Amino acid sequence: MVNPLYALLIGLALLGFTGVLVWPDKGLLWKLQKRRELTEKVLIEDALKYIYKCERNQQTATLDSLAGALSTSLAHALEILELTQARGLLEMKDNCFKLTEAGKRTATQIVRAHRLWERYLADSTGFKESDWHQQAERLEHKLSEEELDKLSASLGNPSRDPHGDPIPTKRGELIPNSGIPLSDLPPQTPARIVHIEDEPEVIYAQILAEEVYPQMTLEVEEVTANRIRFWCEDQEHVLAPIVAANITVIPLVEESHPEVMEGVPLDTLEPGQSGVVTGISPRCRGVERRRLLDLGVIPGTEIEVELVSPGGDPTAYRIKGTVIALRKFQAHLIQVEKLENNLN
Amino acid sequence: MKDNIKELLQTAQDLRWEIGDGFHEQIMESLYADATRIADRAVTYPDQKPRFDLDRTIDNLVTSRMWGFPLMILMLTLVFWLTISGANYPSSLLSSLLIDTVHPLLKSAVASIGMPWWLSGVLIDGGYLATAWVVSVMLPPMAIFFPLFTLLEDFGYLPRVAFNLDHIFRKAGAHGKQALSMTMGFGCNAAGVISTRVIDSPRERLIAIITNNFSLCNGRWPTQILIATIFIGTLVPAQLGGVVSALAVVGVALLGVLLTFLVSWALSRTVLKGEVSTFNLELPPYRPPRILQTLYTSVIDRTLIVLWRAVVFALPAGMVIWLTANLTINGTSIAEYLVNFLNPFGLLLGLNGVILVAFLVAIPANEIVIPTVLMLTVLVTRTTGIGAGSGVLFELGSGTATLDILTRGGWTLLTGVNLMLFSLLHNPCSTTIYTIYKETDSLKWTAVATLLPVLMGIVVTFFTAQIWRLFAG
Repeated sequence: MVNPLYALLIGLALLGFTGVLVWPDKGLLWKLQKRRELTEKVLIEDALKYIYKCERNQQTATLDSLAGALSTSLAHALEILELTQARGLLEMKDNCFKLTEAGKRTATQIVRAHRLWERYLADSTGFKESDWHQQAERLEHKLSEEELDKLSASLGNPSRDPHGDPIPTKRGELIPNSGIPLSDLPPQTPARIVHIEDEPEVIYAQILAEEVYPQMTLEVEEVTANRIRFWCEDQEHVLAPIVAANITVIPLVEESHPEVMEGVPLDTLEPGQSGVVTGISPRCRGVERRRLLDLGVIPGTEIEVELVSPGGDPTAYRIKGTVIALRKFQAHLIQVEKLENNLN
Repeated sequence: MKDNIKELLQTAQDLRWEIGDGFHEQIMESLYADATRIADRAVTYPDQKPRFDLDRTIDNLVTSRMWGFPLMILMLTLVFWLTISGANYPSSLLSSLLIDTVHPLLKSAVASIGMPWWLSGVLIDGGYLATAWVVSVMLPPMAIFFPLFTLLEDFGYLPRVAFNLDHIFRKAGAHGKQALSMTMGFGCNAAGVISTRVIDSPRERLIAIITNNFSLCNGRWPTQILIATIFIGTLVPAQLGGVVSALAVVGVALLGVLLTFLVSWALSRTVLKGEVSTFNLELPPYRPPRILQTLYTSVIDRTLIVLWRAVVFALPAGMVIWLTANLTINGTSIAEYLVNFLNPFGLLLGLNGVILVAFLVAIPANEIVIPTVLMLTVLVTRTTGIGAGSGVLFELGSGTATLDILTRGGWTLLTGVNLMLFSLLHNPCSTTIYTIYKETDSLKWTAVATLLPVLMGIVVTFFTAQIWRLFAG
């Protein structure tokens, strides 16, 4: 019989080793796989995408900034540039690099793949907002053009990604983003969010934490040098101007903003109270949103709070004659106008 | 003409950019709004609700903070008690009929027609006996448990259980309805896996399927009870034995529930992160259960289908068991080779080779683990005078006789405890594995559901054994 103490120690060591190996995201096996995925093709495509974005934003891409964007060394970045040039995707002009027509075409396809994947992740999977970008960064290199077309068709040929960015068409056409940064919006002007930039991650995380999403309407209350205070979905938010600059808005024309959300979230109603649905928040999307619509949660439907479970969540609501239990976070996404005529 | 089409397509393309992505939804909303308007004009409702709303009164009672949980525990205890006490008699009746009466009859019948011993061994001692065993242990409790469960479902009570328990399951990343499939798993994991169909969210459904095996099923209760009685119940004075061993079994079942939550939590945060997750739970109006229809559907849908699958798997397993015990190489049976081969690993886990072989050959049906263990122990220790020959499954009437054989096989209290743990934490039976494959239609998830519990079982028994040996010498 093996000495139990040794066996115990060996067992613990094995357990720890397995943990280090396969721990989600941080395990060695995952890291190894990520490195293996970083092939020449992927690096070239990432470089193209970066230079393409710079050109669109009228910035100059330098070797330094490219190395930074690809998180690699200067020497390696140079190597990748040479490879890209050798394939006729890039040319040197007056000491700065420029995409060739073929290069532009490849780059738009990568952007298209990226945004289509983000749309897919948002609509057809359970990944959270913060996971989309990273996932799409990996997936964008994996599909051929034909497979991309299929993906696009299966999503109903969407025209924008979940952040509000336009998705290039098959032929590479791309409409420019309209709208102005939130930091430039004058106070007391109702506006709709059309785009939220998901890079850099730190800033995106701050915007996510405020729970504001494309298609929501907002109104700025106060702008100072170091903060912007605005009202969005019945809540007050405060962001630094540099963060707010990553949110693009379009001011609403005076007579045409019926979509401005009114009312209170459904989860604030007490048992016995009822309300009329005014809308479902844009945060609720994909299958989740369709399910709610299927149940009859559409503007104009009357909903009554029926029962609260012993744990306080979920709550059962009477919707169109049936009793449906919804969790608090779901009810929070449904806006209702409270009805006051309840006698019981 | 051609130019026209091109122009048209271009216009369509331009318009797409303008209307944006929300138009699908706007169309849907306006369809619903139109439908509602038409319905409002055409459909009339009875003027007033009845003053005494029965549904609402029952709901307020069964989901109240004070009475919700006690009522639920009472109902489930009642169902389990009815199942256990009601199944005892028909089970022993079936067993005495199929095993004690028909089996010898068959033996003598084939002997009289001069069938060679090996053929009658494979067919009757092997195939028939294992099947008879599974049927007599499995059929009665399932025929009681499933109809009772279906009646509660039909009445409308079960969705309220899911409603009451959802906040606990939500914290584990699971769906409240998993409470139902989990409870169903206590009857039979294969039926539990089928019952996850009520969960309409893909992620939560996979979680419920993968963790269903942690519900101690009907085929494993007898093992738990027997081992707890002879190893743990005998540690305390005789009058306390029953209570203590019952507590031990309940403890193992509760450990299973705890692991269900833990594993659900871990799965929903790692491998299942990307699956779609939605929640909604309909609380249908109460209605008097349709007893006959319920009996019919639950007997046909659940009991018979599950039983049939079990029989299909038990028959060949019985043959394999008989063959391994009777085919010999150099005078030693295959079973003994296997036992000796697995013994060092078994001992490391605080089990032994016999137990591992028994769990391997009893993959088709957990019911025959103990009979196989006994048969193999007798075979390996070369005990004579007990059992009915090599390869023939048997059980003993008294606990002390069973304990005697097992002690001769080198069993200790640790072996008993670890057997109970391993019985909770090992691969689901082949019927369940097949059902999981049918329900998920994915080899990947079937493999996860099969291998995860075995790995956990190996880890848990290993550490229990080492710590036990460190402290108990």
